[in-house]
Amino acid sequence: MPSSTHHVVLGNGIAGNHAASVIREREPDSRITIVSAGALLFYNRYDLPNVFRGRQHWVDYLVHPPEYYESRNITLRRKTQVTELDTRTQTLSLAHRETLHYDKLLIATGGHAYIPERLLDYTKLMLGFHNFIVAMQAQKSVRKGGTVIMLGGDVMGIDLARTVIATGHRVILVLDSRTFWPHEVTPSERVKYLQALTNMGVEVQDSGRVERIEMISGTGSARRVFLENGEHIRGDVVMPFYGLVPTVDFLATSGIDMERGILVNPQLQTVRDNIWAAGDVCQIWSAKHNAYRFFYGYRNVKAMGEVAAHNMTGKKATFTSTVSEELVINRDGTLYSPYWEYD
Amino acid sequence: MAYDTDIQISICGSAGDGTIAVGDIFKRAMAHIGYRVIAFDQYPAEIRGFGKCIARTRVATSRVYSMKGYSDVLVSLNDLHAIPHVGEVRNYGALIYDSAPMSAVAEGAHISGHLKPGHIPYALPMREVSELATGANRSRNFVALGFVAGLYQLPQDAFHHAIAAKFESKAAAVTKSALAAFDSGFEAGAASYQFDDVRIDAPRGRKSTHEARMMTGNGAIVQGCLDAGIETFFGYPITPATGIMEHLAVEMPRHGGRLVQTEDEIAAISAAIGAGYAGSRAATATSGPGLSLMTEMMGLGVMAEVPVVIFVSQRGGPSTGLPTKTEQSDLNLAVWGGHGDARRIVLAPTNVEGCRRCAGRAFEIAEQFQVPVIVLVDLYLSNRYETVFLQDENEFLPKNWKPATTPGAGYRRYELTTDGVSPRCIPGEAGGIHTATGLEHDEYGNPSDNSGTHSLMTQKRHEKLQAAIKHPGINFTKRFGDSGKVEVGLLTWGSSFGEALEAMLLAQQEGIRCAAMKVVMLSPFPVRSVLRFYKDCQQILVPELNYTGQFAKLLTSEIALPVTRISHATGAPLDVANLVEAIRRAARKHRRRHNAA
Repeated sequence: MPSSTHHVVLGNGIAGNHAASVIREREPDSRITIVSAGALLFYNRYDLPNVFRGRQHWVDYLVHPPEYYESRNITLRRKTQVTELDTRTQTLSLAHRETLHYDKLLIATGGHAYIPERLLDYTKLMLGFHNFIVAMQAQKSVRKGGTVIMLGGDVMGIDLARTVIATGHRVILVLDSRTFWPHEVTPSERVKYLQALTNMGVEVQDSGRVERIEMISGTGSARRVFLENGEHIRGDVVMPFYGLVPTVDFLATSGIDMERGILVNPQLQTVRDNIWAAGDVCQIWSAKHNAYRFFYGYRNVKAMGEVAAHNMTGKKATFTSTVSEELVINRDGTLYSPYWEYD
Repeated sequence: MAYDTDIQISICGSAGDGTIAVGDIFKRAMAHIGYRVIAFDQYPAEIRGFGKCIARTRVATSRVYSMKGYSDVLVSLNDLHAIPHVGEVRNYGALIYDSAPMSAVAEGAHISGHLKPGHIPYALPMREVSELATGANRSRNFVALGFVAGLYQLPQDAFHHAIAAKFESKAAAVTKSALAAFDSGFEAGAASYQFDDVRIDAPRGRKSTHEARMMTGNGAIVQGCLDAGIETFFGYPITPATGIMEHLAVEMPRHGGRLVQTEDEIAAISAAIGAGYAGSRAATATSGPGLSLMTEMMGLGVMAEVPVVIFVSQRGGPSTGLPTKTEQSDLNLAVWGGHGDARRIVLAPTNVEGCRRCAGRAFEIAEQFQVPVIVLVDLYLSNRYETVFLQDENEFLPKNWKPATTPGAGYRRYELTTDGVSPRCIPGEAGGIHTATGLEHDEYGNPSDNSGTHSLMTQKRHEKLQAAIKHPGINFTKRFGDSGKVEVGLLTWGSSFGEALEAMLLAQQEGIRCAAMKVVMLSPFPVRSVLRFYKDCQQILVPELNYTGQFAKLLTSEIALPVTRISHATGAPLDVANLVEAIRRAARKHRRRHNAA
């Protein structure tokens, strides 16, 4: 492998950082650039619920200190938005009007919160939990003993609910068909799991979908959520947890095959020889399911980063998930998701 | 260092970006809020073009003595110029830059690709914000300034005040546009999450009862001249001394003085000596190349015993050299330059307040000892802004030269007295007729090539200056740091003393016993106090901004003892971190020897 190979990794999460680390181990002299839309170094998003426990400095969430990147000669380009991928010239167009050439590209841009279309008009009245800033805003919005209204209830939301309740707040969960996303549950399982949520202290609201959200004047972030049956509930903050959608807008004209996410083979290679994808952004061909499908959770995503890195550096590796996709009810009656596990 | 707030912000852009202008507003606003401020701008030598400008400002709640060797915040108004300075920003410090440049940039030409992992990026579409706020993109600099103020929650009013003052003489639309751009940037900054760890706490109550003012070294020299009642000034422009003449040209007519821009430096010094001879408080100002031209006439001042003050602001040399970069390489010329044994007095202030004091006292000293006095600064001190607290009352003495005691036919202008200072008459004074000449002369001023006369007069011209070391109202040496015996001593002069003092304070925090002494009077040399300091120090370091160690050589020639030179000739001020490392090395060396013994 020529030492001048420029590996560009789009995405500063688990998949991208682990891939960069493996590439560096395998190719000490190649050039590695991680491109990130955010301002921070790689931090552990799985740990973010701890802002409710008082861990409120972003440095506490860093996975690696700054020296890690310097010692491994990995360039980090933060606050950098990719607007377009040109596979013919092997260049990325950046929002600040610079172009970046790559020899090999890994797309690990992850996903962002999915908001159902009927609620898009209320986006500004809700707070997600997808990055440190928003997590801090959410924490500061909830009064002591106050109420968080969660909409949908995917497993990230349920994970947060555990901490929010443990720190003395109320959580009202407005159910939706995407509750427990990405776990697929049968109607009978759903009944069991909802009971488990109740056992965890979550106040389950099953009176229909959200119809609209209103700001309560003079209260900052406090909101009133109106349900389809005419009832309304009040909370300090409204947080949507309807699952993720892959971040692939910049690939619209790239010629990369996509469905909901980037379609890749089990080696995580796209239709382009020198472009791979890993993490929540890609759908991997599964012979077992005879379909392209997503694989979620920290361990899956990290494994994808490793597989992609190996294949980008000349090895043949195949992704196989080892993470159970089943929700589990603990002995104490509470819920457990294998997707909550991380190093 | 135990400062509550101690940050340094650098703004880097191209000439024409308004870099220095917003740097100026920033420092004035911060001083207005009540912080201690020290600032130094770097700009290109070319009057026109697109050279690099950097406005660096250090803001603290306690007094600071030098610029920091690193910045806490870097604002880029021009990435090509700012990229080489990215490394100056410390870990978890901030970089603020334009995320929406007007034209496409080549790969690697945007600053975002050069940030170190420890830096915190703030990408701001400065051009777009400026266009939205003002209809034009020219106010990017004010957008950036507003962003800084908003991000660090600085009082908006103080900046409004400083912007209004800056454009007081311009059309109202200029101020309005600048304020609009500033406010838009402020809003963006206030809405940004502050990830960096730059903290700017509210300033503490001031200890001084005097009014705080922002002043450059050149400005302080002008203030000293005015307070001392300067009457005539002759000068020829030269960077970095031009500011002295420019300020005086505005101020002197208001104070009843006269200023003439002469055709060159020779004319300037000649006229100033003439004015001094005529009894006027007279001065000129120049830089190294101009001082070279003035040395012959300074010999006349020495020989004819005429009081005159010469302000010299050093820059990189030789020849045209580095007109906009600093250096302390004219010490030899100031102390020794010229033909004959032309001893003169040389003062070298170490900070802005010292510039005013030395300027004011220089007139007194020149008159008392009837000799040219050089006040030697450098570009770093000339252009450096500091917060100063000036006395309300004028501390400088009015004209008071030794009057003729025996006017009349027997008047001896160059009488050999016990202190070497002769009774002085000015032209027109009754009974004071005498000959003033560049030729060697007797006590009456009559030319004489008698060997005995030359010997006595040479001795008189030298010996009379020794008493200058005791002139009241100014410290010609001053010791800081640990008292008694110390492991390491720093002996230095001029603008370098600030860095030396900062380094000494840091070394003390590490447990190294050390002290620093500034030497303000370079000629005649205050041998006794320097020797006392020397004897207290196990090792003496002499940091200065020149290649040959001019001060170190002066020192060793005067006290005949060895010192360790730390000479630095890059055109930039000393680096505090390097000095601290030098102190550590010296301390280790001392401890090894001590342990071995």
